[in-house]
Amino acid sequence: MRGTAEGRAAIVYTGNAEITEWHYVYKSSRRFETGSAVWASPALAVIAGRPMAFIGGYDQTLHALNLVEKKVVWRKITNGEIQTAPVIGKIDGLDVVFFSSADRTVYAYVAYNGRQSWTKELVPPSPTLGDVHLSSPLVFNNKLYITCFAYDKSLSANKQEAHLFCLDLQTGKIYWKLLLSTGFLSSPVGFIVSGRPHIAVAARRGLLQAIDVSHKIPRRRWSFQMPHEVLGSPVIITDTDSPLLFLGSKYGNLIAIDAARGKERWQRMVGNWIDNTACIGEIDNRKIVFVGSHDYRVYAFDSQTGDILWKTALGGEVFSAPCFFSLNGQPMVAAAALDSHLYIMDARTGEMVNRFFTGNPVWDKVAKGETLWGSPVALEAGNNSALVFGSYSDMVYVLPLVKECSLTSMARSSGTLWFSLLVVLILFVSIILPIILRLPGKSDD
Amino acid sequence: MPFPRVKSKGITVDKILKGIENWLSDLFGNIKIVEKALLGMEGSYVELLTILALGLLAVIPILVPQKHRQRWRHINQVFGIIIFIFVVFTCLGVFGMIRNFFRGLNEIGRENIIALYYCSVPATILVTSLLFGPAFCGWICPTGALQEFAGMFTRKWTRQRKKDQYPFSWPVLLAVLGIIFVFLLWMYRLSVTRTFFIEDSSIYWSEVLIILLFILAFRLHQWDGKLRRLRTLSFIIIVLGAIIGLRITSPVHFGFAKVYDPASFLSTVMVVLAALVVPRVWCKYLCPWRKVVGWAGKHSVRRIKLDEKKCTQCGTCTAVCDLDAVQEGKIDLNECHMCFSCVDHCPTKAFTIVDEWKKTCLRRPVSQGDSFRENRPPGPPAKAFD
Repeated sequence: MRGTAEGRAAIVYTGNAEITEWHYVYKSSRRFETGSAVWASPALAVIAGRPMAFIGGYDQTLHALNLVEKKVVWRKITNGEIQTAPVIGKIDGLDVVFFSSADRTVYAYVAYNGRQSWTKELVPPSPTLGDVHLSSPLVFNNKLYITCFAYDKSLSANKQEAHLFCLDLQTGKIYWKLLLSTGFLSSPVGFIVSGRPHIAVAARRGLLQAIDVSHKIPRRRWSFQMPHEVLGSPVIITDTDSPLLFLGSKYGNLIAIDAARGKERWQRMVGNWIDNTACIGEIDNRKIVFVGSHDYRVYAFDSQTGDILWKTALGGEVFSAPCFFSLNGQPMVAAAALDSHLYIMDARTGEMVNRFFTGNPVWDKVAKGETLWGSPVALEAGNNSALVFGSYSDMVYVLPLVKECSLTSMARSSGTLWFSLLVVLILFVSIILPIILRLPGKSDD
Repeated sequence: MPFPRVKSKGITVDKILKGIENWLSDLFGNIKIVEKALLGMEGSYVELLTILALGLLAVIPILVPQKHRQRWRHINQVFGIIIFIFVVFTCLGVFGMIRNFFRGLNEIGRENIIALYYCSVPATILVTSLLFGPAFCGWICPTGALQEFAGMFTRKWTRQRKKDQYPFSWPVLLAVLGIIFVFLLWMYRLSVTRTFFIEDSSIYWSEVLIILLFILAFRLHQWDGKLRRLRTLSFIIIVLGAIIGLRITSPVHFGFAKVYDPASFLSTVMVVLAALVVPRVWCKYLCPWRKVVGWAGKHSVRRIKLDEKKCTQCGTCTAVCDLDAVQEGKIDLNECHMCFSCVDHCPTKAFTIVDEWKKTCLRRPVSQGDSFRENRPPGPPAKAFD
């Protein structure tokens, strides 16, 4: 989850400062665990008149980047990977960055200078505790909500618990926690139904639940079983009479769910896995749901009817959440794909308008569908508009959309594929086959 | 627009091919009849129907009457395809089952339900294979069934070749060259339109398969047994891949997972085309899962016994076995798929199906079924089955 409840990860910047191309890297000699999320999705905010990006990642550090001066304003190191996007909220009028780390802790730092507001450990330490997965925080109804899945490897404890936490925004004090699943949970999303604040959370194993958080004790309002595994988070249209939640699942079901009753409004199939969050944009007073799939395509659906408006094929599996933004009045959608390109499409028609080569993965292989890599965010600033994207190439890219950018449209070569086929041919014929034929003994014992 | 648009220069052939790819994408994207688990476990996407269906399909070989058993077997295979490709979402791919088993083991203690989900399918197949023999391969496996159904079209011709001890023939070589051409052309198309990842490594299995076909066109009779060792190598590669976290999709994977997976689809087409020339070629030479099931089959309770007094050495059993697992009445347990073709076609009813609980539990399997392939003399051809 990043940006707004609608999954919009774009902010408007009205200043005149010029934003130019920037490739930010930090400690590039670091070794990465294969398939790990090198960078999580960034969050953008205009702090004291300067556009800033906040991004964490495998290096366990949150980086606050000044996009105009192209410098790091502050960094904060944690004791675990930062796997999810931070969010920006306000405490006493000050912009504060809230983020979580795999060290079981939620952090709140003043966005301007990195001064610590508070930190809160959600799970007590244990020598047998396995990996802890904290979602992106949600600032909603003057509280902070976050989900946490922790498991204990000891045979005697054998705990597998995923909780939704409600924290005080000012101090980090835990108001309550609610056990929702025994598996991974998505990031929470907040919405109002009948004047009451609700939180929706999806379990990776497919159960979407809505929690009424208007009382001191949270109450489950409804649950909805998704047909398959869910890797992304729900998004919601809130400014209508009947709010609608949208959630995609493995094997390509995109389902619109009535947020008040938990009933399916419509369901559409895309050609392959949806392993990230959808995003909602408004074009000509019509709410559109954008979603990327492993069938190489980005889809646009009418949010009310589910009618497909367009689908555009990219060069690889679309692993990122799409980012809807406006560029000089034109609605655009950006999405990253596994061909290591970041694509920009006209949100009205789906027509491809630009693409950037964002570097090859830091590992020698990519595990499709098992890792949530970061997604792009957009800074809407007229001719200074830019995308910010933490790539699995270990770089954080700030890519101007109108001005010149060195990464635009790098061609892809198929030479490597043919070379690998040749290597297999030579290996098989010259080494494997002779050995197989000369080995003594019975056939396949 | 503020920046230049990326224009695509399409020609007619290109548009036709793109249209076909889009059609395939839509077709496989909607291949499942149901979109939600029919017997889903509450609070998860775990599909209980998978285990029930697999268990049912595995015991059917025991339940069906001897009369028309081969017809029942084909119905079972078709039912397996319908269930696993069109209804449930569980991977029954020959690579996926090994990979999923490791993934399931890794989930124990973290998400036990998911661990159960991923381990249950290979565990069910292994247990039923230990009990009822390797009937999974002969009665259920969709990859095997597709090869068998493809092989039916050329059965008369391939059995004649088998009878003649697989001599070199120009039509076979031309067919193999045709398959190689299809592979290269398809690969060219994919290489300029798709990006390939380690998951798409089934193309290397396809490549090895067509190299094998080329070799088999000249040396099938001489090298058949030795080339079957490639299954061990295939198994080791997949297991190592599973241990280090590589996810490699297998033939027919696109059907199990409801995805348009071009590499898996290409591999499937190659396996089916190859099965037209050499029956069950994938099972014989490259299937890693066959290595596991073969091991279980060797230790299974249920086996086929030959009454040598009744055997007239007519060669019928040898002729009808697509796996070349029967030679003059002796059954190679490494290769047998428990399809019971030999049992059903034997004119003197010399074969019987027996359950050897005591023997299997107390000592090593009888030597009757040990591999004979290496020492098979190039002597007179088996008698043809008409």
